[in-house]
Amino acid sequence: MEMFLMAAIMSLLAVAVCAVLFAAATRDEREAPRPAVPAVREPQRFFVSVPAARAEAARDGMDPELVPVEALLLRIEQHIRLEQAAAESFLNRPTDESLHSRTTSRLVN
Amino acid sequence: MTSVHADLLNGLAEGDAERILALGSRTALSAGQVLFDLGDAADSLFVVESGRVALTLPLRLPDGQRDVLVEERSPGQALGWSALVPPHRFTLKAAAAIDTEVLALPRVALFGHFAANPEVGYVVTRNVSAVVGQRLQVLQTMWLREMQRVVEIRGIRARSLA
Repeated sequence: MEMFLMAAIMSLLAVAVCAVLFAAATRDEREAPRPAVPAVREPQRFFVSVPAARAEAARDGMDPELVPVEALLLRIEQHIRLEQAAAESFLNRPTDESLHSRTTSRLVN
Repeated sequence: MTSVHADLLNGLAEGDAERILALGSRTALSAGQVLFDLGDAADSLFVVESGRVALTLPLRLPDGQRDVLVEERSPGQALGWSALVPPHRFTLKAAAAIDTEVLALPRVALFGHFAANPEVGYVVTRNVSAVVGQRLQVLQTMWLREMQRVVEIRGIRARSLA
């Protein structure tokens, strides 16, 4: 009887030790550092690197928008036309509201 | 439109207008051809006879300098006021937007004619001052609107020192 109890206790201890070792082994696997995922490459943009533009924009508190130069020039010219029209409108009827009227120009919106 | 109906000659008798126009010489420009560049000596005032002239300013971009359209002049409108204002240097670049013909009025001939005909000179300079004054008011307003935007975009907050 004593031999049987001794064998049973030893078996239980062996099972417990195996369980602890198994748990430790699987935990190491879960916590092991993941293989480095290659950084997502930013698409190639015009003239400036995206991180540099973002850093500059972050410094200015703005979200950068990268557009082709020709599109930028068109926006600038449209902005000038809209501002000239707004200025002429103000001069026809000078009021504080017309002086500071909002523009729809995409250059500043 | 003929030059007799030019903004510059508003209020003049037809004979007086024609005598001023006779002081000038016509120049044909093909599309894209430069009439004058920023910084050039401004010796003549121009009146657009036909076509269209683009007035541009240089804008610096990462890939170099680009011309930005500031204004356009169409038939009957004058350009090149710098010819009348010291130090007589153009402050914009002018180029034909399409095939264009302009009348060049030399400053020396123009001022000589005004000296001999003060009443004509008075009418023309009144027209010039009206156009220049209107442009000044527009630019002043545009400048103030831009300043307002700079203040808003930069989030500048002023506080009283008191």
